[in-house]
Amino acid sequence: MTTIVGIKTVKGVVLASDKRASKGFFIASKDAQKIFKIDEYTAAAIAGQVSDAEYLVNLVKAQRKLIHLERGFRPSVYETAKLIANAAYSGLRSYAPFLAEFIIAGVDTEPRLYSTDVSGAISPESFVSNGSGSPIAYGVLESSYADTLSLDEAQEVAKKAVQAAMQRDPGSGDGVEVVVIPVGGVQ
Amino acid sequence: MQSGSERFPPFFYGPEGRLIQVEYAAEAVSRGSTTVGIRTDRFAILASHVRPPRELVDPYDKIFEIDEHAGATGSGYISDMLRLIDELRLESQQHRLYIGSPIDIFTLAKRVGQYIHEFTLYAVRLPAASLIIAGVDQRGVHLFQVDPSGTFSRGAAFAVGRNSDKALDYIIKNYSNDLGFEDAKKLAEKAVETAISEKPLLQVGYVEAEKKRFVKQS
Repeated sequence: MTTIVGIKTVKGVVLASDKRASKGFFIASKDAQKIFKIDEYTAAAIAGQVSDAEYLVNLVKAQRKLIHLERGFRPSVYETAKLIANAAYSGLRSYAPFLAEFIIAGVDTEPRLYSTDVSGAISPESFVSNGSGSPIAYGVLESSYADTLSLDEAQEVAKKAVQAAMQRDPGSGDGVEVVVIPVGGVQ
Repeated sequence: MQSGSERFPPFFYGPEGRLIQVEYAAEAVSRGSTTVGIRTDRFAILASHVRPPRELVDPYDKIFEIDEHAGATGSGYISDMLRLIDELRLESQQHRLYIGSPIDIFTLAKRVGQYIHEFTLYAVRLPAASLIIAGVDQRGVHLFQVDPSGTFSRGAAFAVGRNSDKALDYIIKNYSNDLGFEDAKKLAEKAVETAISEKPLLQVGYVEAEKKRFVKQS
């Protein structure tokens, strides 16, 4: 019950989400946070069970901190996605899956965009959406995405995709949040 | 322990606060075959003197690939060394499974250092082997030495084994970061030759910053 969108360009990555948190047919919050900062260069958008998603974000933050301290340089975006996928996979294999999926966006040696699912699979993407509104968002993304998009254009496309989903998906609504991570990191 | 005597368990601190078993292990290493490592910003070379045990017996391999981007050599009891090499290989693959990327060389040296350190806490025989690890990661080319105490250090040149001080002296006198690959290889060869006072049979391995791949030279 969410719409999240991620777009990768040569100048950076964009994440967008709606702000609705639902409990069945009840709107539990109209100002839910679905995009989380992991560090100045990495962010995650979440879909699914909020408690599971927040737990995994906190877990990966702690693991990344320890790895950064040990080896002296920050984990890459792929390594971050891998850490989340590890937990997801072991959850699935022990019959206690984390009911959350992620879009991991960031910049290391270049802009990166990954999606991870409940099974622990990681896929690199140039644009991606997740949540109940994603089929509608994909309609916009498929017609508007191009690998030549500027960062500003990508921001507009991401926003449009979430807005379209909010019009027709009852699980999504209450406004759009957009996060941009340009090459060089968040200023 | 008897009171008032000089006796103490050999696995514990001696009267001067030194770990006697570590020193014994280091002594065993210093009788091993002379082995050197040299690093510049562009490459790192490992070279080890190979002593054939006797006629009709093949000499041991002394240069080991640890992972695609890292290799190691060493000196001391060969079986102890092989166990440490296994540990390095295990840590490398565990890192790939855990976080999906090749292990960085500092972490690699630290992990095998921690493995050795465990031995210094108990009344067991320490592995009598020193390792020299060469590899390339996100931050460039690295060379590390790991001692029987578990201590590890990063540097541009290391020597272990018989007369390693002489080999190291020779390298220190002739080292420069601008050294070309062939010159560095010759320097390694000369260093071992100086240490053992004869033309050595050497095994060589290297990594280059550009190719990011450890190569074992036959």
